[in-house]
Parts: sequence; structure tokens; C-alpha cells
Amino acid sequence: MEIKIMKNILDRNQNRADEVRALLKDKNVVMVNIISSPGAGKTTLLERTCGELKEKLRLGVIEGDITTDRDAQRLKKYNIPIVVINTEGGCHLDSHSISKVLGSFDLDNLDMLFVENVGNLICPSQFDLGETFKLAVISTTEGDDKPAKYPMLFREARAVILNKIDLLPYTNFSFESFRRDLRKINPSVPLFSLSCTRGDGLDEWFEWIIDQSHK
Amino acid sequence: MHELKIAEDLKDIVLEAASKGNLKKVTRVNVTFGQMVQIVPEIFQFAFTECVRDTSAEGAEVTIEIVPVKMTCNECGTEFIVKDNMFACHKCGSADLKIINGRELFVKSIEGE
Repeated sequence: MEIKIMKNILDRNQNRADEVRALLKDKNVVMVNIISSPGAGKTTLLERTCGELKEKLRLGVIEGDITTDRDAQRLKKYNIPIVVINTEGGCHLDSHSISKVLGSFDLDNLDMLFVENVGNLICPSQFDLGETFKLAVISTTEGDDKPAKYPMLFREARAVILNKIDLLPYTNFSFESFRRDLRKINPSVPLFSLSCTRGDGLDEWFEWIIDQSHK
Repeated sequence: MHELKIAEDLKDIVLEAASKGNLKKVTRVNVTFGQMVQIVPEIFQFAFTECVRDTSAEGAEVTIEIVPVKMTCNECGTEFIVKDNMFACHKCGSADLKIINGRELFVKSIEGE
């Protein structure tokens, strides 16, 4: 006997993500879901970005971390609300975990909420958190083939950051090949090439991200 | 390993449907996955088998249909299959596209007795 079901498997996640998105829209909060491999520089990017933006926008951070709160510790000095979600081995955040911690923020007094997802290029791309947009971060030391290997993330990201450009001379990363693959997948996505440690390219990124809060 | 979380959610849907439909044993689950979701069928079957151990769906086989990525052009209306990660309209070259297929994580039916 066959029983028809005809249902999306991730309906539960999607429904909760839709609720989160509606709530944030109502409160005028922009939520940025930051996705990258481990070690691409998400936390360093957040340190730089929070340092620059904290006087201009009311910020909050959700730190997705497998077991520690080390990333959150690094952001403490900016004196902004931070909540850690430990996934206890889970390779991505989902909309239920986000929905649970949103109550810890004063959403009426928030402009932008950064979510640092668990370091992983594939799993976080599948789970809608209710974010306003996804931000893909990759670094030159990972190789230039990431867009071709993980097209879904690069297709759906509203912006792409290429970090660690100061290390370009020491890698075999081909910027041309990277750009060509990225443009095939997402011809119009803004690309920011920067070094979060040395500071190259950050001003252009700050300008763009501040602009997103006014949209 | 996004396969595991997806397999867990699928398990709940399958067991609920089996109980509603008075199935004592689920032998097969028919699903459709979009190519863009990058599910590895062997890993998915393995994850699902582990999830449904000691349930009415223990040992059920998952039949996975992989759907290619299909887009429609917002400029000229052409529909086309995306090959080699080339996200541009085959007719007019526009990058203003809407996805039709390729992102599915869909359960069609279950079989059993």
C-alpha cells in the first residue's frame, strides 16, 4: 500500500523561519546570517565590523558555536548584546534555536543582528534562519574553487567577502578563476576583497553593510 | 552532514503518516531532492536507516529522485536547465532568473503494509 504525503521535509524549520522573518521585519531589525568554513575569519570580520559600526547602529550578535564561547569572548569588548548558541556537535544553526534566543534581545532597540553560523559551507546553507540575507565569507587560503563546489551558498548570498587577501602572495589562489566561477553562479553579487587583520578593503565593506540597515 | 538533520525530520513525517494510515511496517520512502541541495544518496540512506531503528520504518529503503536545477528567465521567459554552474539565460544571457526546480527536499509517499 502506498500513502501519498507530498510535503517539504524541512517544513517545521521553514515555518519557524517565516515567523522569525516576520517578527524582525515588524521590529525593523536586519538579520545577517554569516556562513563560511571554519577559520575563514567570521569572528575577526565581526570584531572589525562591530568596532566600526557600534557608534552608528544598535548591534547584536548571535554566536553559533559547537561547544565553546570563545568567539563570544572575543566580541565582549564592544559592549553589545551577545547570545551564544552551542549546537553540541550540530553542524549548523536552525530557525528554532534562533527563535528561542530572540527573546534575549531588546528588538525595539536593535538595528542589526549578526548571526555567526557554525563554520561549514554546506549545511548552514540549507536551513533558513529567518535572516534578512546570507553573507558568504571565504578566505584565500581555502582555495579558489569554493563557489564552484558550493554553488547554493554563493547563489543565495546577498554579498560575498573574500578575506585574507594579504596572504595572496603565499597561496596558489587565482583571483581570476575565483571571480569567473563566482560570476557564473551569481553575476551581480557584490564582492568585497579584504584583509580583516591588516585592514585592506574594509571601508568599502563598512559602507555597504551600513547601507543595508537603511533598506 | 546536513543529511542527518534532514533524515531526522523525514523520520517524524514518515512515522506520523504511517500511524495515520494504519501501516504496521514501512518498506519504502519516496523522496525528491534538488541537485542544488547536494544530498549524497548513500549518506542519506545511512542516516535515515539509523534514525528509524526500532520504529515501524526500520529497514525501509529510501528511493531518491534527484531533480536538476531549472531556472526561468525574468527578462524573456525562457526556461532552461543549469549546467556547469552557469546561471545565465541560455537565450538572452540575462542573470535575472527565478529558480523553478533544484532546491527540493520533498517527501512524496511511503509504501508498506
